[in-house]
Amino acid sequence: MLWLPLAAGLLACLVPRRFAGWAAALGAFLALDLAIRLVTDFDSGSAGIQHAVDESWIPELGVRYQLGVDGISLFLVLLTTVAWFAAILWSAIRTPERPKTYFFLLGLAETATLGAFLAQDLLLFVLFFDLMLIPFYFLFGSWGSEHPGREGEGPVRPAPATIKMIVYTLVGSLLMLVGAIAAGVIAGDGTPVFSMAELREGLLSEGSQHWIFWFFAAAFLVKMPAFLVHGWMPDAYRVAPLPVLAVFSAVLSKVGAYGFLRVVLPIFPEATVDFQEIVLVIALASILYGSVMAFTQTSARLVAGYSSVAQLGFITLGIFALRPDGADGAVIQMVNHGIVIVPLMLIIVLLAERSGGDDVTKMGGIAMRAPVMAALFLVVTMALLAIPGSANFVGEFYILNGVFQEKIVFALIAALGVIMASYYALRLFQHAMHNRKPEGVESRELGWREGAIIGGLVACIVALAFYPQVVLKRSDESVNEQLSSFEQPSEPTAAVTEGPGK
Amino acid sequence: MDITWYLVLSALIFAVGVAGVLLRRSPLVILLCLELMLNAGNLALLAFARSLGNEEGQVFALIVMVVAACEVVVGLGLIVAAYRRRIPLNVDELRSLRG
Amino acid sequence: MDATTYGWLILAFPLAGSMVIALGWRALPGRAAGWIGTGAIGLAFLCAIGALVQILDHPVEDRQLTNSLYDYASAGGLDIQMNVLVDPLSVFMCLVVTGVSTLIHLYSISYMTSDDGFRRFFSYLNFFVFSMLLLLLAGNLILLIVGWAFVGFASYALISFWFRRGTATGAGMKAFVINVVGDVGLVIAALFIFRELGTFDLLQIFERAPEEFTTNEGVAVAIGCLLLVGAAAKSAQVPLHTWLPDAMEGPTPVSALIHAATMVTAGVYLIGRFHPVFEIALTAADIAAFIGLATLLIAATIALVVTDLKRIIAYSTMSQIGYMVMGVGIGAYSAAFFHLMTHAFFKALLFMAAGSIIGAMANRQNIDLMGGFRRAMPFTVATLLIGCLALAAFPGTSGFFSKDEILAFAEHRGGFYWVFAIGGYIGALLTAFYAFRIGFRVAYGDPVPEAREVEAGHISHAEPENPATGEREDTDIGFPGPEHHIAEREWPMKIAMSVLAFGALFAGLVQVPGVDAVIEHFLEGSFEDSTLYNDLPSNAAEWRGLGVGSIISLLGIGFAAVLYLQRPGTTKRLAERFAGIHKFLENKWYFDEAIDFLIVRPALGFGRWANSVFERYVVNGLVVGTVGAAKGANAAVRVAQSGYLRGYALLLVLGFCGLALYFLIAGS
Repeated sequence: MLWLPLAAGLLACLVPRRFAGWAAALGAFLALDLAIRLVTDFDSGSAGIQHAVDESWIPELGVRYQLGVDGISLFLVLLTTVAWFAAILWSAIRTPERPKTYFFLLGLAETATLGAFLAQDLLLFVLFFDLMLIPFYFLFGSWGSEHPGREGEGPVRPAPATIKMIVYTLVGSLLMLVGAIAAGVIAGDGTPVFSMAELREGLLSEGSQHWIFWFFAAAFLVKMPAFLVHGWMPDAYRVAPLPVLAVFSAVLSKVGAYGFLRVVLPIFPEATVDFQEIVLVIALASILYGSVMAFTQTSARLVAGYSSVAQLGFITLGIFALRPDGADGAVIQMVNHGIVIVPLMLIIVLLAERSGGDDVTKMGGIAMRAPVMAALFLVVTMALLAIPGSANFVGEFYILNGVFQEKIVFALIAALGVIMASYYALRLFQHAMHNRKPEGVESRELGWREGAIIGGLVACIVALAFYPQVVLKRSDESVNEQLSSFEQPSEPTAAVTEGPGK
Repeated sequence: MDITWYLVLSALIFAVGVAGVLLRRSPLVILLCLELMLNAGNLALLAFARSLGNEEGQVFALIVMVVAACEVVVGLGLIVAAYRRRIPLNVDELRSLRG
Repeated sequence: MDATTYGWLILAFPLAGSMVIALGWRALPGRAAGWIGTGAIGLAFLCAIGALVQILDHPVEDRQLTNSLYDYASAGGLDIQMNVLVDPLSVFMCLVVTGVSTLIHLYSISYMTSDDGFRRFFSYLNFFVFSMLLLLLAGNLILLIVGWAFVGFASYALISFWFRRGTATGAGMKAFVINVVGDVGLVIAALFIFRELGTFDLLQIFERAPEEFTTNEGVAVAIGCLLLVGAAAKSAQVPLHTWLPDAMEGPTPVSALIHAATMVTAGVYLIGRFHPVFEIALTAADIAAFIGLATLLIAATIALVVTDLKRIIAYSTMSQIGYMVMGVGIGAYSAAFFHLMTHAFFKALLFMAAGSIIGAMANRQNIDLMGGFRRAMPFTVATLLIGCLALAAFPGTSGFFSKDEILAFAEHRGGFYWVFAIGGYIGALLTAFYAFRIGFRVAYGDPVPEAREVEAGHISHAEPENPATGEREDTDIGFPGPEHHIAEREWPMKIAMSVLAFGALFAGLVQVPGVDAVIEHFLEGSFEDSTLYNDLPSNAAEWRGLGVGSIISLLGIGFAAVLYLQRPGTTKRLAERFAGIHKFLENKWYFDEAIDFLIVRPALGFGRWANSVFERYVVNGLVVGTVGAAKGANAAVRVAQSGYLRGYALLLVLGFCGLALYFLIAGS
């Protein structure tokens, strides 16, 4: 499954231009099919790694080619394949320039992302983590378009914006590489150890955990992006081609959060406990700052971008609650956010086509002749603002619950983010679809193929809303496993019998 | 058998090659000098292989010759292409790589 | 069938109706969508009756039934089921909601016929009823919150139904955001409850709450107050009430359904449902009662001066809900729910009549422009006056029995609770007055041109304008335009209004002190654990209260008659005389401005500051700093990049020589 998209991407290079997209779509579809089978075959009772592959790769350095899924990566893998399938199909419908290279790069990106989710070896993880950047660098840089930018400043051009993004993320990645090597060397006595399963045995002393923790955290926080290191995000979001941005925003940001859950928590448990509050503060700042920024932006892309900052803040909050409910919430929230942001980005494509730009203040009234599009957009909006009843709410609720039981204040402040989310999401929707139609905006229904893609994703949202347990059931055991190194505070049932209120 | 003389010869040829690469301006001559350097290396390899009775050195020399042939093909191709486009064949003028 | 099966069916029909209309909107001809929607709600009503019959078979102490369909979200120590709770309270509420909703759907079939969004309207409306029922039947707190939020969403969709009207979309947004504030209050309450009691299941919460909490314990009061935030936001109680008057931007049936009969009563239901918590957290209950009192007085005073017909009724809704919240706050549960039911009848009726008149006025809503419709639209005016009578608690009507029962209870509880009784009677006086301000101004006086035209058999053909701003409407999205139907002419409307008029007049008779107490007995199954439920005032005290009530009601109606019938024009002089107060009331006590000033502006200001200053200098500064450092390093290195091939070659050779030397020295 891992190499399938890449193979399809290569195939796309070989076939004539017209079929390039469809070849890539075929690859993405097969990967999706495999991912679905993975989910159905998954044994939700066990916490361990399933479908494992374990080959020796560079024996001298102790690097192994170890792949496998557990409850945490399972749905992220599914999300990746779904998002890519949608994005590739979408791109196949409206063929981009130089389609062969485009689809090859998309295929490569999918392979790298899947690799990062599947890798069970630290160095392999780092390798895929960095590999992800390369295709996106070219995709953003070459297929991006100039954006008018903020008022009073010049336009944002793709090349500098892309370089900014690469520099940011590369610095993070290199720190992580150093961290990974250091962890492996320090942990392994003589021969380095990079297998995550072995590293989990607590081979690292607390002192080395502390500094390696920050090397990894830097990489993941930049990737998400979290508050204060999100500087690359606005420009990159402004210029990126939207279908690519959809997968980027939906999946790549999750790799950061996933990294925390997979790498940081189990391997550096003591450091995690020590730095828990700092990370919580960063997460909280991301939520508030992202939300506030989202409701002052006029660019639809940036509303989506800053809302991602806020959402990823929630996810980090959940992970660092260091409780199973918080982490369960984080896992389901990662899936939810991904599945919401893809259709949102695709809808922004449609909006931009109808209004000639992504400035929401210049849109309006598009719902008039496009009821289906309006309905789909409305569902996406509601899921984005995590209306209770959507799976996003379940995720947020689990996260808040996890945090609340640990640190009340953090949860109370985070709840403000929920209120603000309702405002910026609705504002986006209303500005685009409602009110009177300004000059130069066209109200036109979407085509059936576009409708099918967005509709499919919306159907996923609705299905998850009815039955979020499908994710929770499978992730629960693995989450417990990842968190097993933290001492659990008294169980909720215990709280009943003892009753702090007495 | 004493291999000193072979090595001295090899070193001399290598020095001639280095001097050529550093001093000449025509890419064609530079390419020739590179060949000289490579073959100086080959000579040393063969000499050692002979004196130690180890065939692996000879295999290496063969490989180096293959590589050298490839390199010449690419290099000459570039030079011919440059000549056709009327790009001056003077390495001191080809400095668009300047940082 | 089991009562819980009926419970699931009650939920299933409206959802199915909504989905059928939403997915099949292209295929449905003419009014089919309306009939499907009405039918779905009608079936839900029948199921609610089925549930009622089933539940009456159970003994009183065993009338709380739950049933779980599947695990909704259970992991990490939390356990959330997809389950319903069918008990007398939820069945009672379901009966009221589905009953009134059916009639309102019926009315809408006629009312919305000429609107382009006919199918969309019914899809939303059915979804709304589904959400409301989900809220009522939810077996655990999370599901309740889900229903709670869906109701908010549906009301958003319906308020901004005419989405090309800027005022309507703004009002929708306001309603939604305030509702989300309430949702978050509930969510935090849920978190507290889980921390203290370890469960989300409603019955378990009620079972454990008395064991875990001592009376007026801090945590319990906090939970109570957070629940109140939710209740206040949904039931438009001070200070979270500002969305309700604006919500009148929606079509009139929406105002009738959501903002009178059902959604706004959800807060009352919530407090009643959580009575085991509130009876422990007495402070929170008292706060609820005070909020109710404040709302009922503030809203009643505003209703005296507002000129928009629908907004007067909206403020009267707020005021009446204030009575109910006060009622459940002081523990008069059966009285409060009784009032909830009668209010649903007469308020829906008032809105329907108002819709009919607004139709005749070609969408104008200002009562200053109305008058003399008595002969032009006798049926509408008759129903309007019946609604006003019930609202004014005229002796014998439904509002009379229910409102005065709450006040009698307040008196009975003694202590400082007499404040509520006094405040309630003052409110009743104001209510009676403004009720007939509507009634007399619309029905009597000289007929306005529109009324004359209707009398002559025409329909007024004014250009549609936005009643709030006077802006020309954008007609191609389908407002009930010039071909708009006038209410009385269509039988579905007439049926709906007659049934409600009957209810408004006679529904009070189910619970006459000393004669019968149907609701009180029925709800006992839900409130058997309540300490206050059976502590009722004596019949004599109640009749005394009814006596006071009728005097006050007649007094208010009398005032209105004097001011509007005998000496029209007096009110204008009064307004000039007390210009300060008038302006204060006209601006609705400046609540909107205060919220804008205290919350909205600081948040937006911070956002702008963050965007223009913080983002530019701090976050980008980080980038610029990094870039500067990189450039410095670059300058140092670029010296070597001369571009001369020989330079590179020399470096290479030197490097090799260096390495060779190093190894030679190191090796020797």
